[in-house]
Amino acid sequence: MAAQVFSVSEVKQLLDQGAQLVDVLGEDEFEHDHLPGAINIPLKQLDATTASRLDRGRPVLVYCNDFG
Amino acid sequence: MLDYVPGKTAWYEDNQPREGKAVDEIWIGDVAGSDVPTCSLTEPIGDIRRRTEGWDTCVVVDSKGIVVGLLRKKELDADPRATAEQVMRPGPKTFRPNVTLQELLKSMRDHEIQTNSLVTTAEGRLLGVISRADAEATLAHEQAAPTGTDS
Repeated sequence: MAAQVFSVSEVKQLLDQGAQLVDVLGEDEFEHDHLPGAINIPLKQLDATTASRLDRGRPVLVYCNDFG
Repeated sequence: MLDYVPGKTAWYEDNQPREGKAVDEIWIGDVAGSDVPTCSLTEPIGDIRRRTEGWDTCVVVDSKGIVVGLLRKKELDADPRATAEQVMRPGPKTFRPNVTLQELLKSMRDHEIQTNSLVTTAEGRLLGVISRADAEATLAHEQAAPTGTDS
């Protein structure tokens, strides 16, 4: 996976260009708050089956809490 | 697949919108004011006092805008020839913007903070301040609002 320190404006640009946003935090945390438009695939559940929800033709931008 | 390494924290620090149950919460990043005066470590207290007349708080920041200290009324009334670094309260308590107003008020009460609290990024960059009075008033207003309205 390409780890990159995107700025907020770069993230917005990617989303405007059709990127999919994936929150890999737990379900409870996702339900509490997440970035607009994100879908939730908790990291522990991330496999070929769960990733099949994603459109292979569009970039996928994954996030968690922060650098930690 | 791209990894947005700074993650949610950086998104919220930039005061961007959120979805989920937390849209019904008041986060301090939603209500903090950003017009608090700042000064450098080397600025004389006399100059700061003239520049910040009417304020009881001045935030001391380094060359990168990172909070390193705080001047309250007592420090602002110190020897005008002293520098901010000499009289400041170093390493003041700070809060992240995604802390709820309830959490902030609990902490302010527990730590007997009567005036302003600082809102910063995780790295310590100043985002704004919120006074205890404003926090109390905002929360009281919110709790008094009828359920189901967004006022």
